[in-house]
Amino acid sequence: MAESGGRLSKRLERILTMLPYVIAHPGVEVTELASRFDAKEKDLVRDLEMLWFCGLPGYGPGDLIEVSLDGDRVSVDMADYFSKTLRITPAEALALYAGGSAVSSLPGMEKAEALQRALAKLGRALNANTGEESPGISVTLEPGSPAHLEGLQEALTNKTGVEIEYLSASKGELTKRAVEPWGLIAAHGHWYLVGLDDRSGEERMFRTDRIKSVVVTDNPVEVPSEFDPDAYTRAFSGRGSSTLTIEIPPSVATWFEDYYPVTAAETLTDGWRRITLVAGGERWAATLIARLGSDVRNVQPSGMLDAARDLAVSIAARYN
Amino acid sequence: MTRIERLINLIIALLETTRPLGAEEINRRVGGYGQDNYESFRRAFERDKDELRGMGIPIEVRKIDTLDEHSDGYIIDKDRYYLPDLNLEPDELAALRLARDAVTNGRSEADRGLLKISVDSRAAPVDGPQVAWGDDIRQPALSSIYEAQLERKPISFEYERASGERTRRSLEPYGLVNRRGHWYVVGNDTDRSGIRAFRISRIQGEVAVLDGAYDIPAGFDAQSHLSAEAYEIGEQHADAVVRFDEALAWWVDQNLAAAPHSRNADGSVDVTLPVGNIDALVSWVLGFGSSVELIAPPEARDSILAHLEPLLERQNG
Repeated sequence: MAESGGRLSKRLERILTMLPYVIAHPGVEVTELASRFDAKEKDLVRDLEMLWFCGLPGYGPGDLIEVSLDGDRVSVDMADYFSKTLRITPAEALALYAGGSAVSSLPGMEKAEALQRALAKLGRALNANTGEESPGISVTLEPGSPAHLEGLQEALTNKTGVEIEYLSASKGELTKRAVEPWGLIAAHGHWYLVGLDDRSGEERMFRTDRIKSVVVTDNPVEVPSEFDPDAYTRAFSGRGSSTLTIEIPPSVATWFEDYYPVTAAETLTDGWRRITLVAGGERWAATLIARLGSDVRNVQPSGMLDAARDLAVSIAARYN
Repeated sequence: MTRIERLINLIIALLETTRPLGAEEINRRVGGYGQDNYESFRRAFERDKDELRGMGIPIEVRKIDTLDEHSDGYIIDKDRYYLPDLNLEPDELAALRLARDAVTNGRSEADRGLLKISVDSRAAPVDGPQVAWGDDIRQPALSSIYEAQLERKPISFEYERASGERTRRSLEPYGLVNRRGHWYVVGNDTDRSGIRAFRISRIQGEVAVLDGAYDIPAGFDAQSHLSAEAYEIGEQHADAVVRFDEALAWWVDQNLAAAPHSRNADGSVDVTLPVGNIDALVSWVLGFGSSVELIAPPEARDSILAHLEPLLERQNG
């Protein structure tokens, strides 16, 4: 039977994770194992039967693993070396720890304190060789006002609407809107409220540090079944967004590409970079162009330059 | 005997041996090998070692004395193989479930990790906050660097700057930081001796793990080497005064509460910020459009006008 690559290591991993449980629970039912370890019963039986031929070098009666399959019940003996699980890999620890640090950065999280304790224990286990507690991973997220976050969490838990005052980057002004909240999502270094914006009738993302106030309402909210947080792996993927293409010098590119949601970048023959990014509206693009000053050329669509010029005039008026 | 049975036998033999086993001995004694041809044994054994190491199984190489020569022996260190008991309280396990369910990109890794910690972890998913990492969380360089950092092993890698320039860098990794949605490694750059930060998505190809060992300075704060706003970093050392219109006063209260500020009669707020880089300050202030004004230092006011000049000229022309 040829098994290779990912499939083989996944199967081996499942066996090594399942064995400590079977050893600790003689007579456990295969149906229970199947649900706990998310596998088909026949695959688990095949895994267990295979162990008959495994054991210590010598492979005599006292060396081989003893597996007994009695109807639906399983016991494994003579395999003390598999009574504890394999350590967590760095990739697994990283995924868990990073998720945990991000979530515990949210003010008003009910489980934040327990999460901190759990992460500290995980940190000690990871650093077993140095005895340190810090896992050496940190996540910076700007959540905004704790009071607003608590309001949003309350609305999400009770599935009710909110009314927010929001500093809109695309309009450059404070706006009032009613939102049906679907979820809180961390992306691109910020926490976002995602939900149905009653004003536009569309799904929108609101950066929580730009929210000035939150009022929880009694309006019931139904989160649509097609709402998929995975779709936000790349932030700013919302509907109705347009792209902006600009060229910037290499000295600016270094910080620029860390700060803005760049979707494509290429180096031109004179060293400048041509950047494509998701534009968050005309006002947003105008502000960006004003920020870049003489460090930008070939703006597309060029109409954005008119908006940038109008903005520059209104700013300059304050300095003359 | 199938390959997976042979792999299990190899794990058991290397876990339970009290001394490192040489290759010849593994071929002779571990169930599933027993090849007459040493070369074909060696190929199978190398492939098996890679497979197991890829799963995180710590197969170590140690020098052994055979009758008249030194050669490599293999053993699995029990302390590094087994997951130490975390002694988690029920509420701590529930909190870790919340962390696992928050991960979108990278969910399968988080899920496998938590299943090792507790077989009770597969309870119904929690309806909590979600974290949408960028694709760099899946980049092999990130977990390779994290492994080296945990083992305190120096690394080297090919790094591409935004300018397109590529250089080979050597680093003692001190910490990983996620900022503005990107992963960075912060550490001691041994070629240029100094603390440097590198963006993971700019690392090209594989990360090489080097011989040697190092210590991370006690209390090292990786974030402090990244988290500052761009205008704080630099050698210009000035105090800037920035005026926010009344409409944005709440934003200052909410996001710049730590900086000294005073309220004017018209409701606007003046905030004093320590600045290291005037150009970066100008860019930051312009990011607020016309509702924020740079008051001091005076030369920074001139920079604002100079900065806007290309756009203003466009209007005249």
